[in-house]
Amino acid sequence: MTTIRRFCCNDLLRFAAVNLDHLTETFNMSFYMTYLARWPDYFHVAEGPGNRIMGYIMGKVEGQGESWHGHVTAVTVAPEYRRQQLAKKLMNLLEDISDNIDKAFFVDLFVRASNAPAIKMYEKLGYVIYRRVLRYYSGEEDGLDMRKALSRDVEKKSIIPLKRPVTPDELEYD
Amino acid sequence: MASKFGLAGGIPERKVRPIWDAIDSRQFKNALKHVSTLLAKHPNSPYALALKALVLERMGKPDEALSVALNAKELLYANESLLMDDLTLSTLQIVFQRLDHLDLATGCYEHACSKFPSNLELMMGLFNCYVREYSFVKQQQTAIKMYKQYQQVGEEKERFLLWAVCSIQLQVLCGSGEDKLLFLAEGLLKKHVASHSLHEPEALMIYISILERQAKFGDALEILSGKLGSLLQIEVDKLRMQGRLLARAGDYTAAADIFNKILESCPDDWESFLHYLGCLLEDDSIWCDEVVNDPVHPPKFVNFKVSHLTDEQFDSQISIASACVQKLQADTINNLIRCPYLATIEIERRKHLRGKGNDDNLMDGIVQYFCRFGHLACFTSDVEMFVEVLTTDKKIELLEKLMKTSVSLSAPPTKTLGLSISFFKIKHLLLGDMSMSSASDLEVFCVQMFEMYCKNLPLSKDLDPQESMHGEELLSMICNILVQLFWRTKNVGYLVEAIMVLEFGLAIQRYVSQYKILLLHLYSHCGALSVAHEWYKSLDVKNILMESILHHILPQMLVSPLWTELNHLLKDYLKFMDDHFRESADLTFLAYRHRNYSKVIEFVQFKDRLQHSSQYLVARVETPILQLKQNADNIEEEEGILQNLKCGIHFLELSKEVGSKSLTFNEDLQSRPWWTPTSEKNYLLGPFEGISYYPREILTKDRETSLKRVIEKKSLLPRMIYLSIKSASASIKEHVEVNGSVTPDITSELKLLLECYAQFLGFSLTEAIEVVMGFSNGESSCVVSDSNLIDWLNFTVFLNAWSLSSHELVQPDGNGCRPRIWNILDSMLEKYILENVKSIEPQLCSPWSVMELLMQLVTEPLAWHGLVIQSCLRSCFPSGKKKKKSGSAYQSSANLAHAITDSVMHLFHVLEVVLKWITEWNKRPEDEHLENILLLLRRDGHNDGPGKVFHILETFISSVNDVELGDRISQSLKSWSPADVARKMMTGKLKVLTEFSAICGSKLKLFKSMKQQIAQL
Repeated sequence: MTTIRRFCCNDLLRFAAVNLDHLTETFNMSFYMTYLARWPDYFHVAEGPGNRIMGYIMGKVEGQGESWHGHVTAVTVAPEYRRQQLAKKLMNLLEDISDNIDKAFFVDLFVRASNAPAIKMYEKLGYVIYRRVLRYYSGEEDGLDMRKALSRDVEKKSIIPLKRPVTPDELEYD
Repeated sequence: MASKFGLAGGIPERKVRPIWDAIDSRQFKNALKHVSTLLAKHPNSPYALALKALVLERMGKPDEALSVALNAKELLYANESLLMDDLTLSTLQIVFQRLDHLDLATGCYEHACSKFPSNLELMMGLFNCYVREYSFVKQQQTAIKMYKQYQQVGEEKERFLLWAVCSIQLQVLCGSGEDKLLFLAEGLLKKHVASHSLHEPEALMIYISILERQAKFGDALEILSGKLGSLLQIEVDKLRMQGRLLARAGDYTAAADIFNKILESCPDDWESFLHYLGCLLEDDSIWCDEVVNDPVHPPKFVNFKVSHLTDEQFDSQISIASACVQKLQADTINNLIRCPYLATIEIERRKHLRGKGNDDNLMDGIVQYFCRFGHLACFTSDVEMFVEVLTTDKKIELLEKLMKTSVSLSAPPTKTLGLSISFFKIKHLLLGDMSMSSASDLEVFCVQMFEMYCKNLPLSKDLDPQESMHGEELLSMICNILVQLFWRTKNVGYLVEAIMVLEFGLAIQRYVSQYKILLLHLYSHCGALSVAHEWYKSLDVKNILMESILHHILPQMLVSPLWTELNHLLKDYLKFMDDHFRESADLTFLAYRHRNYSKVIEFVQFKDRLQHSSQYLVARVETPILQLKQNADNIEEEEGILQNLKCGIHFLELSKEVGSKSLTFNEDLQSRPWWTPTSEKNYLLGPFEGISYYPREILTKDRETSLKRVIEKKSLLPRMIYLSIKSASASIKEHVEVNGSVTPDITSELKLLLECYAQFLGFSLTEAIEVVMGFSNGESSCVVSDSNLIDWLNFTVFLNAWSLSSHELVQPDGNGCRPRIWNILDSMLEKYILENVKSIEPQLCSPWSVMELLMQLVTEPLAWHGLVIQSCLRSCFPSGKKKKKSGSAYQSSANLAHAITDSVMHLFHVLEVVLKWITEWNKRPEDEHLENILLLLRRDGHNDGPGKVFHILETFISSVNDVELGDRISQSLKSWSPADVARKMMTGKLKVLTEFSAICGSKLKLFKSMKQQIAQL
């Protein structure tokens, strides 16, 4: 029951059922609108019968050379629509755009080390833990940088795990 | 240009970088030091001065910053062209913008562009200025110039053209431009495409939208299907656009084919199916509705227009649709794809509405959908729209079918639970107001659901603490029914029981936002607003969520004594909104720069929507009123606040602004409990009506009209308070000066505002005065009600102040009637305050709405009247040295003096009574309060009334099985106690009372000091 379309500003006034989830961050306005202004094709919303917002995915494409990649900034689903593989559909769409349109090498995302359900879901979708980022979240909690290689990375070099944790300062992009 | 030679504003880059680094690191003192060094060497450098201004502004010295910036501006205008570079200008622009002087920034760029008309960099800066000012016409003019200037063919030239086109669109959509401007935009695009084609998909989208807005669907289709169409790389988006255009052009057959193609690749796309079906039936409702519907509150149900097709044609088209759906079902392997099965029901619904449907087929479709997807949480919301067409008898029949199906299905425990929950939900939906069920049946139903919840807790044993629990919806459903039972019986125990159930659920899983929202409203209704506020805070509502979620708590807080918390809510919200309005233009320019032109339009429209937000306007009005209430016991502080508000003039302007423009409503009403579908409606305050659980369609127009009046009326308050203080003061001075005269402006303006205020009450000024005068005869009782009592009393306060300095109310026999209104006002305040006090038992379970009214009586009309009295007395004591002379002023008007004296005495007494009454609440032992609350849930052998669910709950938590439930759940339950919840409720209410007591205490202190003042005269 999923119409997936580009996210628009008015959806910010309609996604409360999704964003009241305690694991879903409600960013400041300029954060959302910067993504909409720069990467509208990486910001999609799933809409169900009755025009209900089911969930959304927010991301971007960035990097240089072999670091050219799609990034998932947030993917979240309303409680009413969970356990229906909706997150998978949203992730697949972002991966397709990164792979087929923007010719990225991989897709990555950051997730709280304590968010076991999310980590499990991403692993099912084919992501591996590439590296641990120390105190990534508000200088307190570690984050995990998970990656999935796309077709352009034939040898899958982009997802070879790093052996040691890194600090946020060491990230060459965010 | 200077910047081309490695110089920034004429200064070497290596000398400038440390300053920017310091600014970025927020080391402003260090930055200022570097700037000073730079200025010593380059004293007349506009760039250096601009940097200094920027640093000063960041240090919180706006006045100095503006002075330095203006100096830089003057040097720019006077000096040689070598220093007129974009870096200097952009730095100045930052400063001027942050100082709210956009006009100065624009002026700088306009000056620079007039000197260097061929400099594209400067022109882009100027365009940015116009974006910030929302000057769409000037944006267009500047973009056209850049387009003509830019010689090299390519994406850059295209970008400038699209900037111009977007500017034209903005004139039409967000300005006062006429539709014919779209033709101009079309011409610009057509000419450019003919010679240069297009490179960006967003450019194509804009081109098509320009054509579509002119209803040139054929032209748009031609472009989309031509070589330019290949720019759209997301195929499904392209197909959607194509299908929409074909449908709007009336080529329904071709459009249906397009949507069918979408369904083949995206079989779960519900919207595309609706479009497909609409095209087959040649029904353009969807596209017409897109224009009419509020995009933030789209309709829950699919609109439908009776098709003009013949019966034969209709049947044929329906057959085609059915065949398509059957094919989708056959081709789909994924068991989670719901659209093809819901589509079957939609087809039956269309047939039904055509008069050709078979109810049995419709119901069978729902049953089949239940078999396949009934275990999903969204089942009921999916089928909700379809049961509306059934009669009551058919609904009962459907329910029976679903019951049989539910029993016969074999499924894993989690699915079985899901099916049961869906069945319960659909049962509520089908049976509507539940009036046909007895209270006893409903209680049994609640017990059944609660037992099911407890029984299935083990299913969630191994879930992560942050995951949703299986069956958590059951507790929400129980709560909804218990509240329904309260509404029927007015037995408060049901509300307490509902609170217990939800608190129990949150002890197990503390992240269920639905529980928190329900509890927020329950605690609020019971008067424990401080607890409601705590639950609101636990939702972590911030940023844009405030616009859609704040409505759950703000209306209650506005009439509560929790002023500190209210102040934080308002401040946070207004800061968020104002911050966005400040930066939204920069985000729009970002979209321009990144060639995402559709977002340019969207961003500007969204800003407009927020600026006209009803909640934003309420917050802007209520914030200063809160300040006035908080400081009403000190007239000097109050006048300071009024001065900051331009003596209330700003709000008169706001009042006019509200009246002339439409408001937007951006609340998420879907998340509200059934008993209060909007902030203005609470069914529990009225008699049982047998209303459906699901809210009726909210009439936005009615809400807008009603809210506008409220905002306009509130906007008058600051000015009327100011004028009342002045009028009272002037009336005293009138008696001092032998030939003194009252300032006519104050009196006449106050009269005008009284006339406006009276109109909001539904009367002319003369009529309203008669109502007030008639109060002494008991005539006002039929006009004044709880809903407008505060307004009438506010009116009377201001009327009294006006009468003190106005001669219009003087009767032929002299000054005798002047204090009459004063006496009436005192009587009204005394009557209503004490009446409310007497009507409220000092029990924690008393109805709370009367308490809210009592609090408003003290914090508004009594407060404003206190200011008038303070103003009078202050005029009698202009300074200590003139004590003797001032005394004579007071004594010169025996009637007024008598009125003031009586007033202070009366109101002092009233406040004493209120405080004493509040003390009664606190006298009772804590244990007694707790026992009284829990007693509401003790059944003690009674066969009716609340407590059945609570009894099961208590039994369950006293026999928790660690092994079965797992450590996490069992430990949570063991640490939870109903007594703690009761204590929380009690403490919450007492906190509100404590705050109110402090307010009353402050006013009592004021009146006591005024008594002492009077005694000295």
